[in-house]
Amino acid sequence: MIHYLLLPILLLLLVIFQITILELFSFGWIGIEISLIVVIYLGFHLDGLRGGILSLLLGFFLDCLTSAIFGLYMFIYILIFYLSNLVGGKIYAGNPALIALFAALCTLLEGLVIVLFYHFVFAADILYAIPKIFVPQAVVVGCLSPLCFILIQRFEVFLHVEDRRPAHKI
Amino acid sequence: MLIPHKYHTTVVAAVLLIISLAVISYSASRLSETGFLRKMVLEVAAPFEDVINVSLKGLRDSWKRYIFLVGMEDENRRLRRENAVLSEQLNHYREGYLEGMRLQKLLDLKRNLTNRVVAARVVDRSRASLFKTILIDKGTADGMRVGFPVLSEKGVVGRIIETAWHASQVLLLIDGNSNIDGLIQRSRVQGILQGAGSAGCNLKYISRVEEVLPGDVVLSSGLAGVFPKGLLLGVVTKVSQKGEGLFQKIDVAPAVDFGKLEEVLALIPDAGAGK
Repeated sequence: MIHYLLLPILLLLLVIFQITILELFSFGWIGIEISLIVVIYLGFHLDGLRGGILSLLLGFFLDCLTSAIFGLYMFIYILIFYLSNLVGGKIYAGNPALIALFAALCTLLEGLVIVLFYHFVFAADILYAIPKIFVPQAVVVGCLSPLCFILIQRFEVFLHVEDRRPAHKI
Repeated sequence: MLIPHKYHTTVVAAVLLIISLAVISYSASRLSETGFLRKMVLEVAAPFEDVINVSLKGLRDSWKRYIFLVGMEDENRRLRRENAVLSEQLNHYREGYLEGMRLQKLLDLKRNLTNRVVAARVVDRSRASLFKTILIDKGTADGMRVGFPVLSEKGVVGRIIETAWHASQVLLLIDGNSNIDGLIQRSRVQGILQGAGSAGCNLKYISRVEEVLPGDVVLSSGLAGVFPKGLLLGVVTKVSQKGEGLFQKIDVAPAVDFGKLEEVLALIPDAGAGK
């Protein structure tokens, strides 16, 4: 149970890590969105309620720290989480190629939502961002996602082991 | 439960999506306000971000400084090389310019002379104190003969005393063996300008009754036939009438600085004049 209390803090730290350290490697061009990979992972491995709430939380943190439109990342992450949840039940989630492809598609979907949002809400045309930003970002996220999946899996195992220890003692 | 289990996920998804859309809608309508939860997150995240950014900045600065130092050493080496090349070039151009200036002055002098002249370069100068001579790079092949006067743009240098095919030795005005018939420009008094080594020259055989003042210009008189009349020999620096004898003791500073002589003109006398 303790890791459900720990998770929000870890998610916040992940977002901080993403917007500080990982930003360094983006060279001010594309974002290395590990949080999106985490959302996809949650979609593949958690049920709709817990995963949905964690995705909402992750989106909320990202909105708080980076987004100009508060709530946009919450919406996108929930959307991607349920899409992953839906797809996760139909494909083999251990295949790195499939993970990479799906993560890349989700990044493009995220880009598309942002572009459409800007188009309809602010009447701003940022269509150029899809080929210039979101396509390269999709490639990067796609390439990183299998590795991130392995790391998250290991971290999850570690959390569960840590969670069980007090229970054994009791 | 009111909702069947198989619709749980759909309902939760719908609720969460509605919540997020409501948040967007709410925040869009109240842009200027920051919600409590958002403030909390910002408050919690800010110190972390600060620590990370300060550390990263330190690392970045150290790295940049290291790279900068490495780059600076290379740049320093490159600039030193460049500096050496440019200094060499500048020196070269400056020498060319100065040579041009000197040659221009010689050319001006040449234009003023009626005689034929041959320009020559000083290739050596005697460093011994006894004989004051220089070696020029023109000889008999260029028409040089013993006795030809040698000038610079500033005045008389001396006369040729030895000639080879492509080199000649010039006895300088300040050599003790040099005697040139001269006159004081202001008073037109004539005398013999004799070399006195490093001390310069002495103007001899000027009677005590003649008025000679320091600063008087001494010119060639043209009487001996070697030097044309009116060439600058030097300037009187000291006049002494002390002691016994008929003549004054007059020190003359040569017009030419022999230590800096680089190019000269050898004057070829008219065929009839020499005879």
